[in-house]
Amino acid sequence: MTATLRNLEGNEACALGAIRAGCRFFAGYPITPSSEVAEVMARELPRVGGTFIQMEDEIASMGAVIGASMGGVKAMTATSGPGFSLKQENLGYACGAEIPCVIVNVMRGGPSTGMPTRPAQGDIMQARWGTHGDHAIIVLAPASVAEAYSETIRAVELSETLRVPVVVLLDEVIGHLTETVDLAAVPEAPEVWRSFATGPREGFQPYAVTDDLIPPMPRPGDGYRAHCTGLTHAPGGFPTQVPEVATAAVTRTTDKLVHHRERIESWQVQDAEDSDLLIVAIGISARAARQAVRDLRAEGLKIGLFRPVTLWPFPEEALRETVARSGAKAVLVPEMNQGQLVLEVERVLAGRAPALRLNRIDGQPITPDDIADRAREALK
Amino acid sequence: MAHMEIRFSGSGGQGLLLSARILAAALARQGRHVAQSNAYEPVSRGGLSRSDLVISDGEAAFPLARRVDYLLILDAAAATVSTHLLHQGAVVLADAERVPDPPRGDFRTIALPFTETARGLGNPRVTNIVALGALCTLAAPCPAEALLDALLAMTPARFERLNRDAFAAGLAMAVQEPA
Repeated sequence: MTATLRNLEGNEACALGAIRAGCRFFAGYPITPSSEVAEVMARELPRVGGTFIQMEDEIASMGAVIGASMGGVKAMTATSGPGFSLKQENLGYACGAEIPCVIVNVMRGGPSTGMPTRPAQGDIMQARWGTHGDHAIIVLAPASVAEAYSETIRAVELSETLRVPVVVLLDEVIGHLTETVDLAAVPEAPEVWRSFATGPREGFQPYAVTDDLIPPMPRPGDGYRAHCTGLTHAPGGFPTQVPEVATAAVTRTTDKLVHHRERIESWQVQDAEDSDLLIVAIGISARAARQAVRDLRAEGLKIGLFRPVTLWPFPEEALRETVARSGAKAVLVPEMNQGQLVLEVERVLAGRAPALRLNRIDGQPITPDDIADRAREALK
Repeated sequence: MAHMEIRFSGSGGQGLLLSARILAAALARQGRHVAQSNAYEPVSRGGLSRSDLVISDGEAAFPLARRVDYLLILDAAAATVSTHLLHQGAVVLADAERVPDPPRGDFRTIALPFTETARGLGNPRVTNIVALGALCTLAAPCPAEALLDALLAMTPARFERLNRDAFAAGLAMAVQEPA
């Protein structure tokens, strides 16, 4: 009955999920509270014929991951806090050049070195906008160890099929939490790969505009001539500053995510039918909210939860529909920062319901009681 | 047993996280769901250290401790920090030697000779295993045999005799009482 149940830590689950999805290259630089991802990768990757490299720093790690992916291997890195800041420039290159890769970021207190061993959710905006310029990026926010596993698999698959960097955004609590999971609950599925270029070598355009807006990647050794650059590039791959070509080049990469939005978006709803107050939260704050909703429902209060699993692009239509369907008079956004997720919620709801805040930046997780107290006060 | 919370607390280096991990593994093999979280200070030995287990039938809604049912304290450093999580009906198991002033209140406090027993077995480093045995008797989170299996599977084979003796001494030390 229980043969497949095992205890696993969140960071370990990220590593195992990535390997299951076919990741065979990891370059990283250890940093608390993400180091266990690298530790498990160092142990497990050689067993499946993969490569683990500890680089000299986070900048080089991100560069190595991009190079490995361009070489035709699924690649991942993991980091925290200052390390995620250091990766931003090369992450921007991966966004611009549309190189599939996965970055696990386990959030700790900040800014700067902050509180290395303490949890925070202060990178919500950085994960979306940390690198400069208009760019496409996907951010997934697991709230359990089981989800750290399944969402890292999804991260590899989305990055491959959409040619886009995907950030798996954990907070320290989820990263270091051990839970009993059933890895067999994630059904076996064929391995997902990027679409590789086929057809004539002559006249090959590495950034051709296709119907699905995802240009097939040339596989090294297949004989396609390809130029890859962080400079704004035309479909042929070479730099351009022709206004309409530059506009089209950047717009295609951002339109790509809009076009495939249904595949990307994921969210969960708890008790949202008939709610006076709807909580919106991610990560450990969402787990606290899950308990708070149960406690408050038991008191007869009408509370629900909307949890974005895909954080960016934010599942905005789903939130608007959930608020409308529930009849919520307000939303409450508990988060371990001074107010980041709430800004997106306010933008999405555009005044349909006021967004109330609950914030902690003291290195301690938000508790179910914190949320219940704030909710009772709001419903008075 | 729908829901149970256990905290292992003391000083860094006492094997608190290991004991919690052993119990968590035994519970998972019994089909229970466990959430284990740890807190320790950025030092290699000493400092306040704890590991919490939230035991439930499915995935816990909130995986961190809220109302601790069993609080193990192996060092005075952890004597008072968890008292706010205790409720009426909670049980505190404190080391008789290293926790001279355990929390007392509207809950049950038991002082047991974990350290002394381990020393008597020839190695004070198995204090955590003695305590794990006593906890097993008092809280009965899973059958003792299942916990022993996990213990032996997760510790070095050369310490098997010592761990068996420590665990048995702990089991015999405490007597389960009706609630």
